[in-house]
Amino acid sequence: MSAVQEALPAVRGSRDATVRRFALTDSIFHGMTRAAAILVLVLLGGVAISLVAGSWQALSTFGFSFLTSESWNPVTEKFGALAPIYGTIITSAIAILIAVPLGIGIAIFLTELCPRPLRRPIGMAVELLAGIPSIIYGIWGLFVLAPFLQTTVQPFIISVFHGIPGLNGLFAGPPYGIGLLTSAMILAIMILPFITSITKDVFDTVPSVLKESAYGIGCTTWEVTRRVVIPYTRIGIMGGVMLALGRALGETMAVTFVIGNAHRISTSLFAPATTISATIANEFTEAVGDLYTSSLVALGLILFVITFLILAIARYMLMRIDARTGA
Amino acid sequence: MSQMLSPDMTIAAEAVAKAKIEVKNLNFYYGQSKALKDITLSLPERSVTAFIGPSGCGKSTLLRVFNRIYELYPKQTAEGQVLLDGQNVLDRSQDLNLLRTKIGMVFQKPTPFPMSIYENIAFGVRLYEKISKAEMDGRVEQALKRAALWTEVKDKLNASGLSLSGGQQQRLCIARTVAVKPEVILLDEPASALDPLSTAKIEELIDELQADYTIVIVTHNMQQAARVSKQTAFMYLGELVEFDKTEKIFTSPREKRTQDYITGRFG
Repeated sequence: MSAVQEALPAVRGSRDATVRRFALTDSIFHGMTRAAAILVLVLLGGVAISLVAGSWQALSTFGFSFLTSESWNPVTEKFGALAPIYGTIITSAIAILIAVPLGIGIAIFLTELCPRPLRRPIGMAVELLAGIPSIIYGIWGLFVLAPFLQTTVQPFIISVFHGIPGLNGLFAGPPYGIGLLTSAMILAIMILPFITSITKDVFDTVPSVLKESAYGIGCTTWEVTRRVVIPYTRIGIMGGVMLALGRALGETMAVTFVIGNAHRISTSLFAPATTISATIANEFTEAVGDLYTSSLVALGLILFVITFLILAIARYMLMRIDARTGA
Repeated sequence: MSQMLSPDMTIAAEAVAKAKIEVKNLNFYYGQSKALKDITLSLPERSVTAFIGPSGCGKSTLLRVFNRIYELYPKQTAEGQVLLDGQNVLDRSQDLNLLRTKIGMVFQKPTPFPMSIYENIAFGVRLYEKISKAEMDGRVEQALKRAALWTEVKDKLNASGLSLSGGQQQRLCIARTVAVKPEVILLDEPASALDPLSTAKIEELIDELQADYTIVIVTHNMQQAARVSKQTAFMYLGELVEFDKTEKIFTSPREKRTQDYITGRFG
């Protein structure tokens, strides 16, 4: 008994030391992780500040007309961002129009209809599309897809819509192969895996008992998907689409190959055009004057703002579906 | 086992009415493991039958065979016969959607669809019937009245089904099931996630519904089985141990295992 009582203070003493040591290492760990997290914010802020600083000359010279002017003339040093903004938004929008139905279709097939042994192989194949470097999409687009479209699809579409008001403007001009539509198709293929895998994941969040009760009143798979699964996951799907849109807006290499790099706004989807990122990639090395360089940086700032907004919206939407499934 | 039981089951069936569902030599497998062993029983029309037994005894599995909802999952197979009005529902040629309009199901957790209260009910009706807006309003009202929910929701039919309380959601699910005009209603522990007050409302509802529907209820709660059912089946380890009138099961069961379970000696 007395031996135990004598031993106690010693034990207590060594425990106190251990606790102090823990407190020290813990606070070091805490500090390091916090520093890492803050570093991200610092980097983000740094990028934003340097973009604003770099584009200041262009923005102060052209003012608001930088956003509304179509001219892009390095010789006279008159720069306007409208054509690249237009090209960026149009190619991304068409890419979304193509990829969303396809991606949701694939996700429905994989979660509801696909025979189980095929699920993983097909799902993985779709996700592997995301792993192909964008330069390869660019080469493939330029050497395979564009000539194919030029010789077969585009002449056909032009002849079909010839003489139909509205549509003949949309599909007009000589079939170059490269242009807005070709870029949009390449982008659609590139963002398909994002849409598919996010949609598949949110479909899996639908409680099986909810699907069972829909099947239980006699719904077909289509009705269950259309009326229960998609409404239940609508916000998550929107989030996935926004993430994909963010990717499409910023994609550079593949688009640069097939967009045609022409600073003009044309109603025809077959016409060559340009996007913000393609313009920057193409022209940065040859930008001689300060104003020219500054204008390119300003383009970058615009793209930064657009994608930042899109991703913020996407995050917000995904947060909302998380909150709901957690409740 | 089933041979031994058959005389009693005939009695139970004759005493009430004609059989709505007859199960004959039903075996059920989850992959390799056998979950139901040679089940034979017959459920009388327009009356409440309860399945009781400890967890994993196969009572929910048996329920899920009746509307073949188990087929949504791979590797679950049933063999034997389940006759609905003499027609084998396990037959390959049986149309599943049609079957499920005849046999409605309510689950343990309330599962309102992600749409308004009105649409939750109209949705199922619209799948198989083309009726006018006025008729549909009537059907929705009637279904909600049957589920004793009308007075609580009549002023907010356009609110989301998810905005209701748990007990209300479960009654909405019952209303939705009733609206499709099924012949049989399967209830898989419908009150186990609800408070006592909501449970009492659900039980009252079951009591009223048996005038028009054949009802099968799976429950963990023996008092509930005793309160709501006319017949009770006691299942254990995939076997049907005893099936008889409810008062007989709870007062003088024939099998020792039934006796042990209802007196709380195991389970």
